[in-house]
Amino acid sequence: MMDMQLLISGVIFGLSIGSIFFLLAIGLSLCFGLMRIISLDQLLYYSVGAYITFTIHVVTGNTWLGVLGGMVAAGIVSLVVERFVFTRIYERDIAFTMIASFGILFAGIGAIKYVWGLAPRPVPIPMEAQVTILGTAIPVYRLIVVGISLLVYGGIWLFLNRSIIGKAIRAGIEDVEHVEGLGVNVYKLFTVTFIIAGILSGLAGGLHASLIMVDPQMGLEVLAFVFMVVIIGGLGSIKGTLASAFIVGQVVSLGSLVYAPLAQMAPFAIMLLILLVKPTGLYGSKLLKR
Amino acid sequence: MLNIFRWWWGILLAFFLLAMVRVFLPLPFANEVIIFSIYTMGCNFLLGRVGFISFGQPAYLAVGAYPTAFYLYYFGQNPYIGILLGIVVGMIVSAMVGAFFVRLRSDYFALVNLALAVIVFYLMEKVLATITHGDNGLWFLANMSSTPVLDLTKPRDFFIFSFLAAMAIWAFYKYLDDSIFGACCMATKTNEDKLRFLGYSNYSIRWMAFIIANTTTAFAGSLYAVYLGFVSPAITSPARAADPVVVTILGGVGTLYGPIVGTVAYTGMKDLLSGWIANWELFIGLLLVFIMLAGEKGIWGTLEPILRRAYFRKRLLQGSPES
Repeated sequence: MMDMQLLISGVIFGLSIGSIFFLLAIGLSLCFGLMRIISLDQLLYYSVGAYITFTIHVVTGNTWLGVLGGMVAAGIVSLVVERFVFTRIYERDIAFTMIASFGILFAGIGAIKYVWGLAPRPVPIPMEAQVTILGTAIPVYRLIVVGISLLVYGGIWLFLNRSIIGKAIRAGIEDVEHVEGLGVNVYKLFTVTFIIAGILSGLAGGLHASLIMVDPQMGLEVLAFVFMVVIIGGLGSIKGTLASAFIVGQVVSLGSLVYAPLAQMAPFAIMLLILLVKPTGLYGSKLLKR
Repeated sequence: MLNIFRWWWGILLAFFLLAMVRVFLPLPFANEVIIFSIYTMGCNFLLGRVGFISFGQPAYLAVGAYPTAFYLYYFGQNPYIGILLGIVVGMIVSAMVGAFFVRLRSDYFALVNLALAVIVFYLMEKVLATITHGDNGLWFLANMSSTPVLDLTKPRDFFIFSFLAAMAIWAFYKYLDDSIFGACCMATKTNEDKLRFLGYSNYSIRWMAFIIANTTTAFAGSLYAVYLGFVSPAITSPARAADPVVVTILGGVGTLYGPIVGTVAYTGMKDLLSGWIANWELFIGLLLVFIMLAGEKGIWGTLEPILRRAYFRKRLLQGSPES
């Protein structure tokens, strides 16, 4: 029914989209797990990363440098937002942080429109090379995106399991009060986690910039998908986020091969089903059910 | 008796001010304000009374708007029947959907609704494109025939109709607030265990509240359809999903006048700022963050105590025998 080449390129496309979703969702997932906030403003750092990538590319002509610059800029913006807004509202209700962070996202979109204008901007792909897998030509860049996201997963895993700060963060995901009782300054942990999340979102934006057009609304466009990834995977679970990101990526990509409108709708239908059957998501632990 | 008198006094004052909107500002703006405030009232009831935050209100707007559009485009000509159809379909859909949704906690509830909005959007844009004409939308302004008493095809009569409807809905929510059902809604927000202990079912109260709120939203949707004479999938675009929540919080969550104040402020700001500078989102966003940091009371929530104090001080100085 479907020819082989189309299928393979579809799978690779799905993997690369899934990688971008994973990089975005992991920040949200960590933020929810540790701080119990729903940080919609991660999507702002994603757009910031993409726009800085575009700007640095225009200036220097090097997209990889742009991605690096985008990560740094996203980290700085997230630090500023964390200092000025989130330190004041960590204690509040979860719906409250959701609305406040939506305000930040909205204001950030306005600021981006002010600085860069409304028109979508193209960013050229940093490497044109293609490899042939099973008779199908595949752009190397997509494979590199997948590789980077797997590296990030490995890095995050090592960080959380081997470093002392990472262990404190994991303990905080289980029970914040106990960690505080042990004499750890949890607010420092919150800041570190938030900046890591921001940098990863910036990385996602920078990598995604060459695959799509950069435009001010790009954060809102992926918002629903990223949330879906987080929810299907289970809030606060890294492994679940990886799994669900690739599932959603494949559903989007292969769904569009079968029947185009399905690509956008099918993931949401899956999310509805999963939430109604198992409200904690695939890997959500019962500890998180408050 | 006195209580009832005060009750009506509040309504009359609020809608006198709203009528002033009509006198001083152009008609399209006034119509927009009225419809949007009906839209926001539904969201305000969900958020302020039941504690459900929903990022998917546009879905219910579309559920109300599309039946009206289908009727007026394909079958009939009477806008009243179209609106009635929108309300009925809105009620049925929200009853069906709500039965599943209200089991979830508030943060999941917000996201599930967002998912519903996206599904409805693509359903209308792509899957049902043969009936809905996709992004081009359905144009039926010329199909509507004029009706005897209030001619909905004329913007001026439409304003009177939607004004009366908004007033009735507002009075209905005011009535709900004072009823036992309203008290139960508040209780299910603050302490559901205790409410269950008193012998009420949290589930059915939330379900009822969900149906009421989203029937209101669907009504606003069908009003939009009749007013614009045009419906396209843009009405349920996920990018506008948070508008009613923003407006509700801007006005003041859970206050009765909040939706109206918030709508006037939001629509006004949008009109003024977008004429003045291109990116009004920056200001709306910053304002939202500011309101949240300043104690989430919103415009009316901040004004109300000040007005009340001023009112009572005046009464005290006059030495009114009532107090």
